[in-house]
Amino acid sequence: MRRRSFIRSLSAASVGGFAVRGFGNPMLGPLLDRAAEDRVLVIVQLYGGNDGLNTVIPLDQYGNLSSVRSNVLIPEGQVLPLQGLGGATGLHPSMSGMRSLWDSGKLSIVQGVGYPDPDFSHFRSTDIWETGANSDELLDSGWTGRYLHQEYPNYPLGFPNETMPDPLAIRIGAPVTIGLQHLGVAMGASIYNTQDGLDLTGNAFTDPVTMDCKGSALDFARQVQRQADLYGDVIEGAAQPGCNLSSLYPIGSQPGAELANALKIVAQLICGGLKTKIYWVSMDGFDTHAQQVVGGSPTLGAHADLLQGLSDSVHAFQDDLQLLGIDDRVLGMTFSEFGRRIKSNASVGTDHGTAAPLFLFGSQVIPGMVGNNPDIPADVTYETNLPMQHDFRSVYAGVLRDWFCLEPTEVDEVLLDTYVPLALVDPAGCMGTSVHDLNQEAGNSLLEVFPNPFVENTTVRFDSSGGRVVLQVFDAAGQVVRKLVNQELPVGQHTVVCDLSDQPAGSYFCRLQMGTKQQVKSMVKVR
Amino acid sequence: MPLVPYTGPFGRAQLLHLLRRSLFGATPADLAHFDGLSLDAVIDELLTFTNDTAPPVKSYAVGGDPNALDPSVPFGTTWVDTPRDPPDDTDVIQARLVSWAAWWMRQLTGQQRNLREKLTLFWHDHMPTQLGVVFHSEASYRMQQLLRTQCGGNFRQLIHDVTVEPAMLIYLNGRYNVSFAPDENYGRELFELFTCGHGSGYTEGDVQAAARVLTGWGIQEDIDGTPILPQTIFRPLFHTATDKQFSAFFNNTVITGQSGADAGEVELNALLDMIMAQEACSLSICRALYRFFVHGDIAPEVETDVIQPLAELFRQEQSAPDQIRTVLRALLTSTHFFSDDVIGCMVKSPADLVIGDIRMFGFPLPDTALNEADLQVHLEFYWLVSYAGQTLAEPPNVAGWPAYYLHPAYDRLWLDTATFPARNNALLGLIYSTIETPSDTVLPASADLSFRTDLVAFTQELQNPSNPNALIDQLVELMYVHPISPAVKQQLKQAYLLFGQTNDIYWSDAYELYVADPNTTSMTAQLVPDILRWLVGDMQKAAERHLY
Repeated sequence: MRRRSFIRSLSAASVGGFAVRGFGNPMLGPLLDRAAEDRVLVIVQLYGGNDGLNTVIPLDQYGNLSSVRSNVLIPEGQVLPLQGLGGATGLHPSMSGMRSLWDSGKLSIVQGVGYPDPDFSHFRSTDIWETGANSDELLDSGWTGRYLHQEYPNYPLGFPNETMPDPLAIRIGAPVTIGLQHLGVAMGASIYNTQDGLDLTGNAFTDPVTMDCKGSALDFARQVQRQADLYGDVIEGAAQPGCNLSSLYPIGSQPGAELANALKIVAQLICGGLKTKIYWVSMDGFDTHAQQVVGGSPTLGAHADLLQGLSDSVHAFQDDLQLLGIDDRVLGMTFSEFGRRIKSNASVGTDHGTAAPLFLFGSQVIPGMVGNNPDIPADVTYETNLPMQHDFRSVYAGVLRDWFCLEPTEVDEVLLDTYVPLALVDPAGCMGTSVHDLNQEAGNSLLEVFPNPFVENTTVRFDSSGGRVVLQVFDAAGQVVRKLVNQELPVGQHTVVCDLSDQPAGSYFCRLQMGTKQQVKSMVKVR
Repeated sequence: MPLVPYTGPFGRAQLLHLLRRSLFGATPADLAHFDGLSLDAVIDELLTFTNDTAPPVKSYAVGGDPNALDPSVPFGTTWVDTPRDPPDDTDVIQARLVSWAAWWMRQLTGQQRNLREKLTLFWHDHMPTQLGVVFHSEASYRMQQLLRTQCGGNFRQLIHDVTVEPAMLIYLNGRYNVSFAPDENYGRELFELFTCGHGSGYTEGDVQAAARVLTGWGIQEDIDGTPILPQTIFRPLFHTATDKQFSAFFNNTVITGQSGADAGEVELNALLDMIMAQEACSLSICRALYRFFVHGDIAPEVETDVIQPLAELFRQEQSAPDQIRTVLRALLTSTHFFSDDVIGCMVKSPADLVIGDIRMFGFPLPDTALNEADLQVHLEFYWLVSYAGQTLAEPPNVAGWPAYYLHPAYDRLWLDTATFPARNNALLGLIYSTIETPSDTVLPASADLSFRTDLVAFTQELQNPSNPNALIDQLVELMYVHPISPAVKQQLKQAYLLFGQTNDIYWSDAYELYVADPNTTSMTAQLVPDILRWLVGDMQKAAERHLY
């Protein structure tokens, strides 16, 4: 009937955190497996279009570079050479932190990442990178949105649940954009961090309430909102102050303090036990059309500060993960919507470009450079742009295949086409299939209880997948009041009558266990 | 001492407040319409209305066959004047009730710029009948039309007509209240809920006496076995003809027992005279109006400064045909109404929340000629309001919705951890979701249609929408009562309209390109409708959205 379909489509439009309320029965505590081995991807989005040529500097083309962008180019002697590349490539001098990661084998640089028929619009190109679209198509889902949908196909119905009690993804400091959406469903929760702690309002509306009648009404509404947001509870529960051990994070007015704040929270939440698979953070300001560097002192200026902030934060984050002993579970990736023009402009800046390098960092990356230094032609004009070496979707494919361990057909499904995956991550550590299978079933309803509420007895219906089945009834205090089934049952649907006529009215819980699958349904005896 | 009238500045903020409480939501077109008018001029227009509705039509069918259900009513014509034959065919009752509910929604979404629909809903809450209990399509339609016609009129006339209206006689057992077995149901609710109010001083004896006054009323639904539309009748044989003694609260009034064909009417009028003579009734009605339109809790100083003068006015106007309009005018033009103790302090009812957004964002409504599409769309809206916590025509019981009477939380009762997500989902749904009509409609023009909010069209009703700052400012003004800081507005602008960038031109360029040619080949411009949906979708999630 029409009514149900519209309401279902409404649930699909809801944002993470407003899923159906589960029951906080304390007896479920020990049944929850929170020793997650699940892997995490941290995406660091650089808004504006990062100037790749001043980030990963092709020293072997220095001559050609200096003839077309001398007003922004880093002096050759100040570039930080990357060891093992024969001195051909180096990093911007602000990036000592990431150079340390390179030295300890925790950094991968993918050169020339872009896509065919590049778009020079921030909006459009950002949209392309987030959705994985071709430049002539609009998609209504993000690549990570589609991945999370594939991993948890029932989401948001039936979430949170015992298999996945936590947000699937968390966006820190901004709303969930298309990258984490799937057909109108936000696949992640959004949190806004402050210097003092987490802001779990879940949205941008964080103005303090006024001391009057409407302020008091707003305070009430926000309280209800917060109470209704179960993901707020789990995030708050996981955020452990003791879970930041690195002293390297930039703070206060140091470059990168805001990104550092966000990454600190990521470390806290992973350390605190959240099973969240994707964290998305960002930095803005990379659209350096003018004053990219300080005129005459190109190692200083806006871009230098940005790269320092990025480098120091990422380095601190990696340090933190290592100290916390969770670094083998985390992979980081930077991206920006495009690179910048080879030839600089007269405002001591650079305009929109095309392909650019991106970074992957973590203890499980295959360290080194993928691809070659970009080829700088001798006759660069204002219109000349760098050709792509790698399609960004090949980067995604590599991450999906070797980090999240998807089958090739699953990778193609997420990316909506076949792309050759790049070897970016050590594939040896893919997670066990049982966890993947559990995720697929998360949110499935294994048993039904009807009528509910009931007066004397009710009927339980469930599907057995064969093997031993345990079906019990607990009262609200956690005592077993009925042992309905404890035997091998054939595959198929079964119904059992549950007679509680001798029991007092109140809440009860019917628990089904079949092998590793289990589910609890609440039921109410009235009168 | 009369209610203190408002003499402060009457600008956009005050106008928005008045419109939000008087209408369902306030649209950009509403603001433009009333722009520059004085408070008196605005209230004049808000109080000018008649019941000029056209009745609901048969737009229901089965599998495209218009005669499968309710064959005596031609498709596309109204069913309200056609008795159901056989009268107990539940499929037909159900179909007609659905038709009525959707039609009511249409009166709400398509409302004119006046208080008629809000007042109709007020009386529906104050003197409810429940659709499922009455289960009589023509009676329910008629009852509501009675409320709609008299909603701004004379209270005594209204309560008189409601007392003997078929739907009420069914709902509160009036038709079974007979001399040899009096049924107190209506008599009790008449005192407790509809007039004097619980605890005002009437006694159990008064309830029983009132029940005896009201004995003998009934409903005729057929003539010699042929169904007719429900008619109220009075049966003197079933009426208690003895005198009815009332308590000291009613000054020990005795209503002289009558017999004969006009006994019911004569005694009913005597009963109503007796009730109206009590201050309690005027105070109770004024409190009810206050709780619906102004604020839930009534502070002691509000009781003395607002309710008592209002009740005095109510009593002064007790014979006036426009009594309720006069009382409402005084309330809605008072200083108190425009004070900081009122503006922004009330939780929106689900009806206000959902219908407000349908109107404000201009959710496209089917042409009424496409009656099946009209039914489908408005049925979805009906269930949406229900999902958000308020099923119109089905208040929980005869006391109406608890938000309008339950101390101390009142309107805060609309918001709890179950309703908040539902309301949030409803607001998001109105931005994101599409309502579709099926393929198997009777009229081909109603088939396979899609209805979805067009936010680009909405922004074109605003001033200078290509300027992202102006756009955010106007959205904030329309969507919230509470002030939003520049920092939050900047965050919204940057995250959505500027796609993470910092230069305003990115929005202006894309928006102007799209508006100039929606079929533009610029992929950036093609993102504009989505960007607006994401922005407004995020703004819908603010807790501020739920207050007015």
